[in-house]
Amino acid sequence: MISLAGRDILHSWGKFVLTGLGLGLLIGVTFSMAGVYRGMVDDAEVLLSNSGADLWVVQQDTLGPYAESSSIPDDVYRDILGLPGVAQAANVTYLNMQVRKGDTDVRATVVGFEPGKPGEPRYLAAGRRITRSHYEAMADVMTRFHVGDRIRIRRHEYTVVGLTRRMVSSGGDPMVFIPLKDAQEAQFLKDNDAIVNGRTRIAANAALNRPGVPGMLDAINALQASNHNVNAVLVRVADGHSPEAVARDIRRWKHLQAFTREQMDEILIAKMIGAHSEQIGIFLVILAIVSAAMVAFIIYTMTLGKIREIAVLKLIGTRSRTIAGMILQQALGLGLIGFVVGKIAASLWAPFFPKYVLLETGDAVRGFAIVMTICAIASTLAIRAALKVDPATAIGG
Amino acid sequence: MDKNVGIQIEGLSKRYGEGEAAVDALRDVNMSVAPGEVVGLVGPSGAGKSTLLKCLGAVIEPTRGRMTLGGEVIYDNGWKIADLRVLRRDRIGFIFQAPYLIPFLDATDNVALLPMLAGRPNGEARARALELLQALDVAHRAAADTSELSGGEQQRVSIARALVNRPPVILADEPTAPLDSDRALAVMRILNQMASQYQTAIIVVTHDEKIIPTFRRIYNIRDGRTFEEAGEGRALE
Amino acid sequence: MNIPKTLPRQVWFGLIAIALLLAFAWGIIRSGPLAPIQVTVTKVAKGDVASTLFGIGTVEARRAYLIGPTVAGRVRSVLVDVGDSVKAGQLLAEMDPVDLDARVTSADAATARAGSAVTTAQAQLDDAKSRQALAASEARRFVDLGRKGFVSQSVVDGKLQQQQSADAQISAAESALASARQDLARQDADRVGAKQQRRNIRLEAPTDGVVTSRDAEPGSTVVAGQAVLKFIDPASLWVKTRLDQSRSAGLRLGLPAQITLRSNALKPFAGKVVRIEPISDSVTEERIADVAFDRIPQGVSANEMADVTLLQSGVTGALIVPNASLRYRGAQVGVWLRADGQLRFVPVKTGAEGMDGKMQIVEGLKVGDELVVYSERDLKDDSRIKVVDSLAETAK
Repeated sequence: MISLAGRDILHSWGKFVLTGLGLGLLIGVTFSMAGVYRGMVDDAEVLLSNSGADLWVVQQDTLGPYAESSSIPDDVYRDILGLPGVAQAANVTYLNMQVRKGDTDVRATVVGFEPGKPGEPRYLAAGRRITRSHYEAMADVMTRFHVGDRIRIRRHEYTVVGLTRRMVSSGGDPMVFIPLKDAQEAQFLKDNDAIVNGRTRIAANAALNRPGVPGMLDAINALQASNHNVNAVLVRVADGHSPEAVARDIRRWKHLQAFTREQMDEILIAKMIGAHSEQIGIFLVILAIVSAAMVAFIIYTMTLGKIREIAVLKLIGTRSRTIAGMILQQALGLGLIGFVVGKIAASLWAPFFPKYVLLETGDAVRGFAIVMTICAIASTLAIRAALKVDPATAIGG
Repeated sequence: MDKNVGIQIEGLSKRYGEGEAAVDALRDVNMSVAPGEVVGLVGPSGAGKSTLLKCLGAVIEPTRGRMTLGGEVIYDNGWKIADLRVLRRDRIGFIFQAPYLIPFLDATDNVALLPMLAGRPNGEARARALELLQALDVAHRAAADTSELSGGEQQRVSIARALVNRPPVILADEPTAPLDSDRALAVMRILNQMASQYQTAIIVVTHDEKIIPTFRRIYNIRDGRTFEEAGEGRALE
Repeated sequence: MNIPKTLPRQVWFGLIAIALLLAFAWGIIRSGPLAPIQVTVTKVAKGDVASTLFGIGTVEARRAYLIGPTVAGRVRSVLVDVGDSVKAGQLLAEMDPVDLDARVTSADAATARAGSAVTTAQAQLDDAKSRQALAASEARRFVDLGRKGFVSQSVVDGKLQQQQSADAQISAAESALASARQDLARQDADRVGAKQQRRNIRLEAPTDGVVTSRDAEPGSTVVAGQAVLKFIDPASLWVKTRLDQSRSAGLRLGLPAQITLRSNALKPFAGKVVRIEPISDSVTEERIADVAFDRIPQGVSANEMADVTLLQSGVTGALIVPNASLRYRGAQVGVWLRADGQLRFVPVKTGAEGMDGKMQIVEGLKVGDELVVYSERDLKDDSRIKVVDSLAETAK
């Protein structure tokens, strides 16, 4: 027995392939949407893994440093270092801001880190690590900066000396790493007008501006301009100690909160990405319905165009089952073409998305099963129509 | 009864609808066609020709009567055959007004489809198809796509299809309607040839004046009743 | 008996299907988790490490002065302004003498009066002395008479008592004289002091320098210790440089320096470390070194920011790797070694680091070892890698 479905497809392959292409692009969009969601989750995982930290110590009663802002003094890390089970404790700052290069600016998360400690990028994609204590930066490739570029962050210019890959914030902004002190200054120092304003106000205050105490005014101004806060302390727990136990120790201090990796996962994925995942889920459902409708329509139309042949086939003795099978096979074939085109298209255009798109094999397999199921269901409309055909209609008159 | 005794119809009636609106398409029709015989079925449109074919072709159920095909009682006030589809596939050949070939199969496969549906292996089915195409003088177009065949060639392929399963009965519905006189006569020639070669009983529904003279026997159908007539029986070379 | 009727079309379709499947497979292999990780590699070689220290600093004057009065007063005149060069001893400003002149006069008068008091006291002493002489001689005479019985004992006692009283009067007069002398000395000292104060209202430059700030205008009242003018010795300008404590190994006096002023980034100046502050900043965790210019640049201003690079002697013939190849496993620093197609994490001990990113390896590697420099992702022991020249997205 020959394959009626195969012959039909071969005969009108142009129409089939074009339809498959259209369906494929739709499926490609679906894969990309799923990939965007996976990418967001991966961004969060990568952010947590690349920090090299086992614990995140932040301001009490906050969900920082990524989900909420958190501010703690920068000498707290010394006390944390003294706790049992703490191998390394490092200050870090995070700030979302525009980083300027020439005439353009890029939205980035500026990270203040200390070399050799958690918070520093674990691997580079180009260039070298920072060797000077100020005014050098490492940037992620998604900023589109290159080694040697001069970029401007707040008041100072930095030279990009190294490039990283997959260093993005939980919101998907690429990261730029600068020495901690520079980052503290960038984060907490006000702009010039505000500083001048502040100085004038302090100078007008007679209690602070004492003529008999030279240098007092300068000291107070220096205090206003200095910054000794950071957003978090990243802690690496020593081998053989449990992060939760160390976190409990830290939480006992009244003004600090400490999160383990699992808790940070929950915060980032459940809370920050949660709303996105719902949106994407709705999109996926809509796309699935549209795809199903498309397949149903195409197959139905193709079947209607063959009504006469189907009547003849039935008359000359073809089983209804065979005819139904032919229609089903065509729908599945369409689905297969669509799936292959969709997967290829999604892989091709994924790098052009501004966010990271992660196309997982598991998703592809699931997608294949869903596409096939949808095609099978969509073909039932056409199959019903075909089964209703009366073979007597082949005999005219 | 002899296994292959062609077509026997006794007292066949078909009523559509009920009560006041009922229409008697066939009233007590009697017909018989011997194996190897080609009879014509003529009559004005609406007289019941198609209905009779449909009953014979086991696609509609008569109201009452008796039908015997190839020695087998297929209907006796009720279907006597379990699987009408298999009956149609193996015991009846259909030739339609238009060739009605499957457009996505080539000439050979259009014909070979029937044996394949009957379960024969592809090679054998194709061999048989080729045989018939040769007999009908279209073997040189065996690999051609349906759309590449001329009207006459398609017609011959459809005749080959009707014959390929060696059915005892062939029902032809206006097979020469779109053809010119030469072609029409050629078709009749082929039909007569095939009928005598394979001992098939053939009913040809027609109102084509060009071929009516070629029948030896004609059944005239009017208002659902049939009347047997002698035909001219003009010779076909 | 396969008659190739539809072969051409089927062949086409088959080819397209195969092409699609290959593209599909490419899609799976190239992107996604099955793909091997792209890395670049390099070989360990011997080379030189030019180690330098880096810090940022502000230009400050080593010697800066506050010029102001020693007592509260009113400014009478300010003779120089910001930016003026002054010479040692030059009069910069003057305070209002107010009552100082009157006080000097009063001090003079007080001294004179004290002098007169001394004279008076002297005279009184002389007088007391003469009376004492008389009383003494009378006492002697009456004692003699008493002995001879010419006068009664009570008369003798009386005369003796007169002599004692006259003695006492001499003591009193002597001490009164001493006190009058001391008073004179005091008034004199006061007078000298008042004169000195009168001189102090002249504010003079202690050395050559440049005025940096003018803080009080004529007519303003200033208290003791408040500055009327500030000025610096511009020859003493140096850069107070802050270096990260953790990156200040090898900081010593005399290290040659390259100073890049924020105001003139293109032209660095030469200098050297002249002092290392004994007290570091524990809050910012920085050491402070003072770097002097070899030649003080024109037009440099105090409090200007500068980047300072200190050039150390460096290391020659050392095993070097790019610092980008260093990875951390926990606290352990090491590199990913590629040997016999296998990937292995090798802990190393590092030495000097150059500003250009070259890192000296003291222990753990040998010349010719091939190690991973850049990678697309974090590496693990079982990662599959693919060596490329440079990672895709980093190309210009």
